[in-house]
Amino acid sequence: MVSVEAGGGRAGRRDRAGGAGGATTGPAHRVQPATVVVLALLFAAAVYFLLPVVWVLVAATKSTADLFGTFGLWSPRPQLGANLGRLFGTGDGLFGRWVLNSFLYAGLGALAATLLSAAAGYAMAKYPFRGREALFNLVLAGVLVPSTVLALPTYLIFSQAGLTGSFWSVLLPSVVSPFGVYLARIHAHAAIPDALLESARLDGAGEYRIFFRIGLKIMSPALVTIFLFQFIGVWNNYFLPLVMLSDQRLYPVTLGLALWNSQTFRDPAFFELTVTGAAVSALLLVLTMASLQRFWRAGLTAGSVKG
Amino acid sequence: MGSKISRVARAAAMAAAIGLAAACGGGGQPSAAPASGDPAKPVTLTFWSWVPDIQKAVDQFNASHPGVQVNLETITPGPDGGYAKMLAAVKAGNAPDVAQVGYDSLPSFLVNGALQDVTEYAQDDAAKFVGWQWQTGVFGGKVYAIPQASGPMGFYYRKDLFDKWGIAAPKTWDDFAAAAATIRKKDKNAYISTFAANQAPWLISLAQQAGQQWFSTEGDSWKVTIDNPDTRKMAAFWQKLLDDKVLKTEADLSNAWYKDLQTGGIVGWIGGSWGDAIIRGNAPETSGKWAVAPIPQWPDAPAFTSASWGGGSSSAILKGTKNPAAATEFAVWLNSDPQSVNTLLSAGYGWPSAKDTSKVTNLQKDDTVFPFYGGQNIWDVFQQSDAAVALDWRWPPVSDALYATLTDNAKAAVQGQGTLTDAFAKTQQAMVDQLKAKGLSVVTGG
Repeated sequence: MVSVEAGGGRAGRRDRAGGAGGATTGPAHRVQPATVVVLALLFAAAVYFLLPVVWVLVAATKSTADLFGTFGLWSPRPQLGANLGRLFGTGDGLFGRWVLNSFLYAGLGALAATLLSAAAGYAMAKYPFRGREALFNLVLAGVLVPSTVLALPTYLIFSQAGLTGSFWSVLLPSVVSPFGVYLARIHAHAAIPDALLESARLDGAGEYRIFFRIGLKIMSPALVTIFLFQFIGVWNNYFLPLVMLSDQRLYPVTLGLALWNSQTFRDPAFFELTVTGAAVSALLLVLTMASLQRFWRAGLTAGSVKG
Repeated sequence: MGSKISRVARAAAMAAAIGLAAACGGGGQPSAAPASGDPAKPVTLTFWSWVPDIQKAVDQFNASHPGVQVNLETITPGPDGGYAKMLAAVKAGNAPDVAQVGYDSLPSFLVNGALQDVTEYAQDDAAKFVGWQWQTGVFGGKVYAIPQASGPMGFYYRKDLFDKWGIAAPKTWDDFAAAAATIRKKDKNAYISTFAANQAPWLISLAQQAGQQWFSTEGDSWKVTIDNPDTRKMAAFWQKLLDDKVLKTEADLSNAWYKDLQTGGIVGWIGGSWGDAIIRGNAPETSGKWAVAPIPQWPDAPAFTSASWGGGSSSAILKGTKNPAAATEFAVWLNSDPQSVNTLLSAGYGWPSAKDTSKVTNLQKDDTVFPFYGGQNIWDVFQQSDAAVALDWRWPPVSDALYATLTDNAKAAVQGQGTLTDAFAKTQQAMVDQLKAKGLSVVTGG
């Protein structure tokens, strides 16, 4: 759900950019009916994606009674301050810990996954070795296996290692990204000329130096993509932390909100907390994505010029 | 009754043998240390639960039992992934000693070999608990779980509006049907209740109250009797109300339903005892206007008969515990000590399984609950209701599938594809297939 909202944010921004483009070409040409139709469709799509976001933001300012008793997009008695106070105050600031945990799992996991994927993809693209294609096909097969399916086997392995219930039990599985390896290999294959590596070797650079100084730099647009994908993937991963963790203080925000949501059955006041928490965590994710997206666009351009 | 239970046991044992026998094996023999433990070297237990504020009761236990220290870990509720987590932990050999398991899920845990037989530690504790609740943790005379709480049914209604319209709280289902029609005439926006086709546990509890059970064992076979005369009678009753358009058909516990509680669009609810918190929390401005009546009765019922919404919840002792004696002692204390029951009751965990509630002060006087219901001691209604739940109701080892299938079929019926009676008949067939697919032998009846 969170990723959809982030996607909605992007769609909205593109829509505005499209509208501005239409305005600049407008005076020179008559407006084509097709343009109007496309714009209307884009507008409808933007509304479709943004409405849930608006709803959750408005709902975050309501009491539990108003949440069900009043119109969804209007808050007659806003109490955002009180809700936020309760949100961060409940259970000794549990919510703050959950958000921090989510950023740690997603941030550290995505960073490590990006580095590992880059190294693996680079090696598979640039070093011929026996079984390379077989290995790559195995990785490709890994892309097709949903992480949810792997959660239980991973749990059993981690349990033998005595790691279940720890911070590492969620972080370690998050540093593996078959999709990242796939993307890194494709990108390294297309973007890093063999001649460049040869000349670096002739100049006396070692393989590690070549990888870190030249390979990583050229691959940076792909790396930002891998990072973003992995970040969202880890952030939204629900089943793995559910199976692994038992200590509430280690929960990521997704699991924590699900726990609160389940308690509305006994204590309806948890509706407020869950909805406000969902709004806050969605906003944080949108902000994170928006700030990382700059990298992404700059990176893509850089890649297209150099590549 | 004893023979019936032993038959259940044989079926369960056979199920375990056919199904997941491998999961039962392994693990060292649990030590038979004395239960109360040695304060100098306390036994440490792990307890998984999702009941809000149960920590307070655990703290009370730890304070009064220096020899046994319990570490609570709050997990997501069973149906939301908690059960999958428990079964994985049992398989991995690091399960908690005690865990929250619903009455409806105990049979599937047993079939999965995930429960520890604690008969030798718990056999003297049966008298502390309400009979039918105790029996949900007993299979073949062996005790595997200590009951915690149930959700006996009652009829919540807007007494102010019923009084205004001159309608008495319905005593029988015929009264209920008459009241439903009258309410439609008195106020075009009001309905007596919704028919919650989305809520399988609710539909099942209506069938349970109607009389004949759905699952039992006969020899080495499961007997499935969902499509029985009592259930058909109940289905035909609700079908007629639906045909007469005197019921809403929106989902219960949904946004629209909460709104209808606030505005008087829905003025009644056949709900579980824990429903008081749901009405109070979601419709706070209707305070003082509600009351609770006993669940309406069928004319042919031999005595006052009630049912429990989705059964209830237990503290199960999981396979792999190294301290079954201490685990049982904790589970029994948690669910029968008056202080603990009082704490859990104010956390809204449901109706206590403890038989003697005379020392549970929150049941005698509750200053948050009673005023909302116009000063009525609503717990009297639920006490009577819990005592009138059938002893012989049994859950199948495939409750998840039962819920999913029944919900699908009931929703289709409400949308006009067939009748409710068909929906239960279809569910019967699906459950027979499910049990057979698990390798169990099945007989049917009606």
